[in-house]
Amino acid sequence: MSDTNVGSESTILRLIVGLLYPFMLLFGFYVILNGHYTPGGGFQGGSVLASLFVARYVVYPVEDTDTEVLHAIQRVFLSLILIAPTVLLFTGLVARFPHYRGLYLTTMDVLIGVQVGFGLGVAVLRFAFFQGVGKTWRL
Amino acid sequence: MVEVATILLMGVFAALAIHSNVLRLAIIYLAVFSLLAAFLYLLYAAPELAIAEAVIGSGLVTLLYLAALKRNRVYTIGVVNEQQRDHLSDSYISHVERSKALREIRQFFLLREFEVQIVFVSSALDEALNDPAYDLIVAEDGEGFAAFTDDESYAMLELEMMVQMHGSGSAIRFVRHSEEGVV
Repeated sequence: MSDTNVGSESTILRLIVGLLYPFMLLFGFYVILNGHYTPGGGFQGGSVLASLFVARYVVYPVEDTDTEVLHAIQRVFLSLILIAPTVLLFTGLVARFPHYRGLYLTTMDVLIGVQVGFGLGVAVLRFAFFQGVGKTWRL
Repeated sequence: MVEVATILLMGVFAALAIHSNVLRLAIIYLAVFSLLAAFLYLLYAAPELAIAEAVIGSGLVTLLYLAALKRNRVYTIGVVNEQQRDHLSDSYISHVERSKALREIRQFFLLREFEVQIVFVSSALDEALNDPAYDLIVAEDGEGFAAFTDDESYAMLELEMMVQMHGSGSAIRFVRHSEEGVV
């Protein structure tokens, strides 16, 4: 089997993605943080953050990331997404202090964004590095 | 006006993606289709959907398809000829490439969306059989072609059955070999 990787050893790709990397990070957090009054939000910004993992995979397709750790972080944020409304919204805290409504929405957006980012990133990395076990169906 | 043009262009790219013979191109057409869909969402005042479609549809999904395409892309067939291995002539190569057996095998793998690559091996048969670079070894002897395989997958059985069903016309025999030698 020939061992060709997507974009391996391409200088142009490496430079361009390296240049774009901080802007992608910035754009992702911009979309997340401004989600409650401009288009965007947790899911969209999280997808942009997930494309960071993808961009890294395109440039450097080596399995050196422990997806278990990323998965654990994703689960922590998933539980925080469930805890935050339980503590803040259902107890009436947000209703009692309407000034902090924006802060609450932004917090939820950040939690959802990070969770989606790690979740999609882990999904893509797991898929990209999946190796079939043993000599199985090869077609 | 712009909406109609975008929708029509989406139809064009969808048709291109379906009818393209090269899978890599089909994936790119699909990515363009997604990007046009994102633009259409923007025209219909749904910017949130547009962002999600642009990132997921033409970013992540395209890469997932490419990663899926990357694995098991090339099926390498090694052709061994014990007599002629030191001086491969053009006429011999075209004789092998045009032979019915090779064409049938190639067609079989093309239908399963493989890129078939035929390599003329200059080493001896035993060496070639132990070389993991080749997925299938085809050797020519006096009676015709013989395919050597240690692959126990269903695909090989299917190929064998196809060849048997075509009868003697294909002039290829299947030989199973294992680590110890030809069985």
